[in-house]
Amino acid sequence: MEHGSPLFELELFGLPIIFELSTVLMVVISSLVTFLIFALMARNIAVRPTGRVQIALEILVNFVRGMITGNMSWAQGGKFHFLALTLITYIFVANFIGIPFMFAAPDEASTLWWKSPTADPTITLTLAALMIIMTHYYGVQERGMGDYVKSYFEPTWWMAPLKFLEEFTYNLTLGLRLYGNVYAGEILLTLLVTLVMSGSIIATLGFIPMVVWQAFKVFISGIQAFIFVMLTMVYISHKISADH
Amino acid sequence: MNLLAVGIAAGLAALGASIGIGLIVSRTVEGVSRQPEARGPLMSIMFIGIGVVEAVPIIAIVISFMLMFMF
Repeated sequence: MEHGSPLFELELFGLPIIFELSTVLMVVISSLVTFLIFALMARNIAVRPTGRVQIALEILVNFVRGMITGNMSWAQGGKFHFLALTLITYIFVANFIGIPFMFAAPDEASTLWWKSPTADPTITLTLAALMIIMTHYYGVQERGMGDYVKSYFEPTWWMAPLKFLEEFTYNLTLGLRLYGNVYAGEILLTLLVTLVMSGSIIATLGFIPMVVWQAFKVFISGIQAFIFVMLTMVYISHKISADH
Repeated sequence: MNLLAVGIAAGLAALGASIGIGLIVSRTVEGVSRQPEARGPLMSIMFIGIGVVEAVPIIAIVISFMLMFMF
């Protein structure tokens, strides 16, 4: 089952810039969902928690705090707390949003409008590149330019090309891991839907592996969001702590 | 021919990934049974390790998707 994608091309200085409109739409929707989750959960918080909502929010915040303190000291890593909290929720929502249903427009190309925004390599590689650039920024800010440059030549000078190359590998694996997991899951869901809709009676039983795969994909979404944020924190701690 | 290449790439990627992740999880279970109080840190290290191992087969899967849909 092939799906078309709504493309919008913009000519800028003679270079074509291609927007995929469904990805743009889904990024906006998942950002709004993330915002609404936190806005509704943190609406009436008290020193003495009264409802389950605040308890759940505190569990999430403490979980993210534990992820940071596992990698670096709280005095250094405290400023990344809300970044990690927003990132883990956003990636989980973005992975999850394509699981329950999909929407393809009923035109001849069957344009796909509702999908996971992270099933697009542009989004995940951009997120990964932002995180890697941020680790360099904080590396320079925390340790100074001299120590930052010197960290490439440790333990010996001939490690420098490898260390330089490593930064691009981090970017590539961080982005492609998220993209590959989400995209492979969506392809398998599409195949199972095609099987169920194929018309024969026995193929209708295909909804059983579909439900199982959807449940497993919720698990994968959580794990991938966790790994993305965890690895971001590991890379930040490599850059800002002096003992490495 | 492309489909054959896709099958071989995806199959080998799954083989390697399952062996690697199996080794990681088995060693983690061993560590937890030796030292049950270290369960939390071991689990998070395990997930990081799985994430690092999984990146390579996922890149193979992405390449096989490219082979399947682009060429």
